[in-house]
Amino acid sequence: MALPLVYHWRNVFVRPTTTTLTILVVAAVVGLLGWILGFAAALRGSLAVASDTHKIIVIRRGSTSEGTSALPPAEFNKLSQVTGVARDPQTGRPLVSPEMTVQVALPRKRDAGRTTANVAVRGVDPERAFAVHRNVRLQGPVFATGAQEIIVGVKAAEQFAGLRLGDVVNLGFGNDRGYRVVGYFTADGGPLESEIWGYLPSLMNAYSRNAYSSAALRVAPDEDPQKVIEQIEGPAIQLTAKTEAAYWHEQLRLVRGYLVIVTGLVLIMSVAAVCSIANTMFSAVAGRTREIAMLRTIGFGRGRILVGFVLEAVLLALLGGGLGCGLCLAWLQFVGRTKDMLGASSFTTLAFEIRLTPMIAAVALAAVVLVGALGALVPAWRAARVQAVSALREG
Amino acid sequence: MSAADIELVDLHKHYRKGRIDIPALDGLSLTIDAGSFVAIMGPSGSGKSTLLHLIGGLDSADSGIIRVGEYRLDRMSERQLTAWRSRHVGFIFQMYHLVPVLTAAQNVELPLLLFRMPARERRKRVATALEVVGLADRMDHRPNQLSGGQEQRVAIARAIVTDPDVILADEPTGDLDARTSQEILQLLSLLNAEFGKTIVMVTHDPRAAAFGQRILHLDKGVLDRDERNPARPAAAAHAH
Repeated sequence: MALPLVYHWRNVFVRPTTTTLTILVVAAVVGLLGWILGFAAALRGSLAVASDTHKIIVIRRGSTSEGTSALPPAEFNKLSQVTGVARDPQTGRPLVSPEMTVQVALPRKRDAGRTTANVAVRGVDPERAFAVHRNVRLQGPVFATGAQEIIVGVKAAEQFAGLRLGDVVNLGFGNDRGYRVVGYFTADGGPLESEIWGYLPSLMNAYSRNAYSSAALRVAPDEDPQKVIEQIEGPAIQLTAKTEAAYWHEQLRLVRGYLVIVTGLVLIMSVAAVCSIANTMFSAVAGRTREIAMLRTIGFGRGRILVGFVLEAVLLALLGGGLGCGLCLAWLQFVGRTKDMLGASSFTTLAFEIRLTPMIAAVALAAVVLVGALGALVPAWRAARVQAVSALREG
Repeated sequence: MSAADIELVDLHKHYRKGRIDIPALDGLSLTIDAGSFVAIMGPSGSGKSTLLHLIGGLDSADSGIIRVGEYRLDRMSERQLTAWRSRHVGFIFQMYHLVPVLTAAQNVELPLLLFRMPARERRKRVATALEVVGLADRMDHRPNQLSGGQEQRVAIARAIVTDPDVILADEPTGDLDARTSQEILQLLSLLNAEFGKTIVMVTHDPRAAAFGQRILHLDKGVLDRDERNPARPAAAAHAH
């Protein structure tokens, strides 16, 4: 049997200052790691739900996003020539949704409206849009075609002020047309949930637009989306087409870059945590040389001593890990679960809901066990090599 | 567990300090009978502690034979010696070396954790050991809540809890006042007389040595004198 757990547990608190500092360092690493893992999961989730392989987004050739694309009706009408597009079972019309996207600056909730961020406002024809964007589900009524009404994605509603039911949002070229919020919608957690939708003709009129921004197109279930894209990009139509997955993968490029930077930061902090634990454990070993010598004398082998000190460091790291998870949860609870980021070329805000799930917490704690074990390895090795006779003589 | 004779033949042990060779034991031969109480005296550097460490399997000799009971320590590996110590030897140190974060009972229990023994049995043995040293009512006290004498009693309980053949004590009263020293020495005598433990005690103090049945005087790594203590029942012991 190894040394009793109570021995290691109590020894963790023998040096309160260094222990507290180490716990705080580890907590910072774990807190950030939990947050970043939650963010990465949200990003993956967004990409996963925005990966409808049979939905194609069409923009003008040379444009990189809907925000910078203009698709005149004449160009849009060419899409009716494309074969392989799904059709409405009742009307027989091809499922192609003309859409217009503009950005509006709305006050953020997280700083009580002191700053604003761009939100995408999408004008759609509800009949066609809901047939193409199958993951969009209404929570409440849809906007009336004859009134200045909008519906709001649930993440946009969480992020921005003034988007409650009944609130009026000023839209239009001169910001002079009040659109009333009449309902919400979800999109399986995907990027569309960060948007505001209104009736296409009304919004085109409000923004004095005579061109759409893009078209969303549903490919028939038994057709190859790639062949549809080839037709759209071919000489007859000459537009740019991307599957939804490819489009959002491109749009989330900035977010992925951000994640890489934060991950690098976590790695640097992890090295600091390993050093901090190593420092604490070196102090522990130095202060307990005679105790270790006594343990060796009464029959504890080098292996048991080594494992004991590694276990002690892991306990220390887990304390920091527990605190870090708590801090991360508190941050998400009190500061906000939703993180907004700009799309790579749309310059509109994409919101991600970050959750510290039990699985993410488990992964963060597993990482912390590794950090603890790594930090303890050299000091524990030193403890195991304590020469009992010399240490006892010093006593 | 049966007690053991200790036999040391032509032991040599040198330490190196830089380029200087320091002889600690220089051809020492000695036999200690099972169940005896032997005190080892001598000036600093005479090899007392080295001898104790060699008998306890904590250190290895440069040459010579070390036999404790049926075990040839000079032929055993470090791993074997570690396992042997846990079963056959109890150590008592001048500075007690109790673990400050553990209670008296937990300190005494430490050597038992090396055995496959049910927790209930361990608790029983710990209680018995603490009762023998007169600290049954201090089981849950931590070392800083005990006096020096009580700490040494806990250390003695830790040394006897595995029921070893041999108890090795290195200046067990060196840090205690005269009255407490007497109590500790009486306790060691009791362990020798009542429980048949072989006790080898290193001491500078002639009053402590007087508790031994035999007093060995070491000087410069050799046995200078081997005295029988007339005040204590004679033990069958002899030097080569």
